[in-house]
Amino acid sequence: MILPAADELLAPVMAIDGFRLACLIDGSTGMVLATREFRDSRDGPAPPTAAAGAADVINALTLLNGRLATGENLEDVMVTFSESFFMVRPVGLDQQPQILLLVIADRQRTNLAMAHRSIRDFCASFTS
Amino acid sequence: MSQVSKRTRVQRLADSVLPGRTVGGYANLIEARLRKLAAVGSTGMLPMSGHGDGAIFFRGGQVIYAESTRTPTPVRRSVGLAALGLVATDGRPASNGAELVAAPSLDRLVSMLALTEPTIDAITELLSSESRYAKFRPFDYPPAGQMSPLSIETVLAEVERRRHVLRQLDPVVTADSPIVRFAPRDPPSFQVSASQWALLVRTGDGSTPRALAMALGRSVFGTTIEVYRLLALGMLVVPGRAAAITSGQPGTRPAEVMSFIRALSDTGGPDA
Repeated sequence: MILPAADELLAPVMAIDGFRLACLIDGSTGMVLATREFRDSRDGPAPPTAAAGAADVINALTLLNGRLATGENLEDVMVTFSESFFMVRPVGLDQQPQILLLVIADRQRTNLAMAHRSIRDFCASFTS
Repeated sequence: MSQVSKRTRVQRLADSVLPGRTVGGYANLIEARLRKLAAVGSTGMLPMSGHGDGAIFFRGGQVIYAESTRTPTPVRRSVGLAALGLVATDGRPASNGAELVAAPSLDRLVSMLALTEPTIDAITELLSSESRYAKFRPFDYPPAGQMSPLSIETVLAEVERRRHVLRQLDPVVTADSPIVRFAPRDPPSFQVSASQWALLVRTGDGSTPRALAMALGRSVFGTTIEVYRLLALGMLVVPGRAAAITSGQPGTRPAEVMSFIRALSDTGGPDA
């Protein structure tokens, strides 16, 4: 990864039940900054692909928000697949560069509300 | 009669004379040189010249810094890795990042990125332009505090990904495309980020993504993408290309759609 020293930053989100993968992504360039995977994860999602997908999703929703012009900010994105949850949240609003947190968790083992709260608290812990 | 074109035969001949060189041209030759410097654990500077001048710095076989005359240099910050001791400013090895665990901070993360992004941006430029390398100069160090150790394979993979993104953007906008603000008589409402607003207010006659990036001290690659997003919102246009990418209606968008996932597919796989 580009910032291996930052991998340790992701340790708190690994405590989420059903955790499979977490990435920090530079949303402006799509570059993966740091990654943590569940240690027993086999055939899990490839971090570069998952991160690129997260950056594309945020890009599309940012364009939508720009066109809607409601004055709101994008806080997070939750996507439900048949076997997993895909959660993306900007770390710090209107920060330049925009850094995104992606967390992928096993759907059968994850309490979505608790995971959402953990991710929100994690992002809030990144105070400038 | 030979089925091989004259050009192909010339390229094959050149390859046989210059083993490091491939059909891809200068970039592959430079990549081969960078890999060799990394493999032998080099420390020093590889000067580059050509369309854009610059240099790539190594320490112990890792890329620690790069600069190009066609990309901004890192902004010195009073916080960040140097303040944490995560980067060495006097030749000492960097620590392993444990300090960051105790006190996660967005500012520190941004500081790390502020050192790394200009390096990747510069190398992307140096490998994209028809640059040539000069003799490696051992024991030449970058400016103190501006080091971010990266493995050469990580750097080259990221540069390759960026090339594919830029190739997607190429029909719509390049780093050197002149751009102007689109000002319809009855403009629709739009919402932009502070970062996009900074670009919009600075866009004037002769503006290009590269010039805006240099003025703002931002990544040329990132600024080109941000300009693309403003083109997609219909707030900027590329004179001359406008007819090709929009229907001429206010708020119309580029026909090409940029995708980071597609850039990965183009490189040959997620881990390429």
